Amino acid sequence: MSFTGLIIKNPFRNRTRAALAIVGIAIGIATIVVLGMVTGGLQSATTSTLKAGAAEITVTPIGSSGFESGGGTLNESLANDLLNVSGVANTAGILSASANVTGASTNSTSGSGFGGGRFTVNGIDSSKLSLEGIGSVNGTVYTNGSSNQLILGTTAAKSLNKTVGSNINLFGTNFTVTGIYQTGNFMTDGGAFMSLNTLQNLTSNDGKVSDIAVKVADNANVTTVSQAIQNNYPNQLTTTTAADQANRTNQALSSINTASTGISLLAIVIGGIGIINVMIMSVYERTREIGVLKAVGWRSSRILTMILGESIILTLTAAVVGIVVGVLGVEVILAVIGSSFTAELTVNILLRAIGIAFLVGLIGGLYPAYRASRLAPTEALRYE
Amino acid sequence: MNNQNNIIEIHNLKKSYDKGKIKALNGMDLEIKRGEFISIMGPSGSGKSTLLNMIGALDRADEGFIKVAGIDLMTAKDLNKFRSQEIGFVFQMHNLIPNLSVVENVEIPMYETKLSGKEMRERALELLELMNFSNLSDIINQNPTKLSGGERQRVAIARALVNHPSIVLADEPTGALDSKTGDTILNILKDLHQKENVTIVLVTHEPYVANMAERIFKMLDGKIVEEKKI
Repeated sequence: MSFTGLIIKNPFRNRTRAALAIVGIAIGIATIVVLGMVTGGLQSATTSTLKAGAAEITVTPIGSSGFESGGGTLNESLANDLLNVSGVANTAGILSASANVTGASTNSTSGSGFGGGRFTVNGIDSSKLSLEGIGSVNGTVYTNGSSNQLILGTTAAKSLNKTVGSNINLFGTNFTVTGIYQTGNFMTDGGAFMSLNTLQNLTSNDGKVSDIAVKVADNANVTTVSQAIQNNYPNQLTTTTAADQANRTNQALSSINTASTGISLLAIVIGGIGIINVMIMSVYERTREIGVLKAVGWRSSRILTMILGESIILTLTAAVVGIVVGVLGVEVILAVIGSSFTAELTVNILLRAIGIAFLVGLIGGLYPAYRASRLAPTEALRYE
Repeated sequence: MNNQNNIIEIHNLKKSYDKGKIKALNGMDLEIKRGEFISIMGPSGSGKSTLLNMIGALDRADEGFIKVAGIDLMTAKDLNKFRSQEIGFVFQMHNLIPNLSVVENVEIPMYETKLSGKEMRERALELLELMNFSNLSDIINQNPTKLSGGERQRVAIARALVNHPSIVLADEPTGALDSKTGDTILNILKDLHQKENVTIVLVTHEPYVANMAERIFKMLDGKIVEEKKI
């Protein structure tokens, strides 16, 4: 058996203890992986909100704010009025409503999104889909005014098991899926879009929209335009820029990242102490064996390498377990709650998890390995 | 002092423990020729095991002269290499590693050589075949915990010899065995001594066992007090 084979085999001679040590460290690694995947997914969603071509400003009634606002409607005509504000290049009135696929509906006018089992349907002029970040569609876009066509986001299509040409019943009406779109934003991709008039009719919101997407002219400043809209419609409209939203999300992500770093440090400290404990126990139990290894001519450096290697093997095994548990955990939780959020597993997360595990093994194994390598052979051989 | 025929030369060797209160070796003198089979007897605390530890370079003496296989052990730096190349230990309690198989235990000393894994395996099997196992193919991949005491000690002897040592140091190798199994072990040691011309230093309490050697030394209070040729 090679020396490497010996190092791999040794940590598992006491399987219960090895398993407990692995579980302890794997929990820390799994937490790091889960937080990393969630942060990565949110980061991607945030990036997609700043996509070129999409509207930079969302206008909502005072009293509701942001992309995910709830309550309150605006007159559809305001979308045209806003074109008169300096710096506004394009606008689109959007009506959002929640429905379930079997046809039961609620007439809430919430923002776009798909989560917790609620399916969000948006009405918008098909020529203005680009303001929602929808550049291209697999299939065709619905015809404005059509009463039975819609397009589905990729996540929604996957969740509902629908493809182009499939039928779907919403608000008691059968629709044909004419196309599938993908924006990269998990909220947008978890919903559907149809003709504005159709959704207004189905939800008894004729002439009403939930919010207005505003595309700013190339030479205009988003903040200035946003302020101008609020100044022109005091006590009536409020605005949120995509950058504001992205900043808010980034601040939240920053907090998650800080938490992730804290957990990583905790994992190193707690895991390291656990590994020191396990390896010290192992060295104590094998004192006589280490004496024999010295008696047959093993160098102290070889004994140090063996114990250190065993420690690292334990933590790397924990890393593999932690990564698998973390990835499966995220997927299972998302599937159970029916969320369309896409968590991202990146090479960076994997390297971080493995790097931390390696570090824990190295730090935790260093003292026991040093201790083993310094054992006097005669004393080790006398050890009972 | 520098007889070329002597594989072990010890003069006025002293070793004490507990800040000088216990004098384990107290001016020890001993010369052993290459290829000899000698035994050392003496009561507990007479310094037998300390002497073996000094010859095997497991510990250093406080003062005196000790040269083994041409190496001055008072000044030599790389004692691991010396142990690996020149010494084979056989302990009373075999000291096999429980989670390794029989053949893997025999391979252990060869990690410090430049042999490949395949060469190590071949050498280990070669040694095990010399140990007169009737069921070798059945036990080579078993853990030593499943073997009898005599079988374990034979594996330990194979391990001691695997690096072609010039000296085998056996500390009460039959002490934990019944007389019949002990005889088998002694015969194996004697055969190896005759066939391989290995120098054997055997420590024992048993006069019967000591009589297997060519010379018997009796120790008392850290010194040789009697020498007898068989």
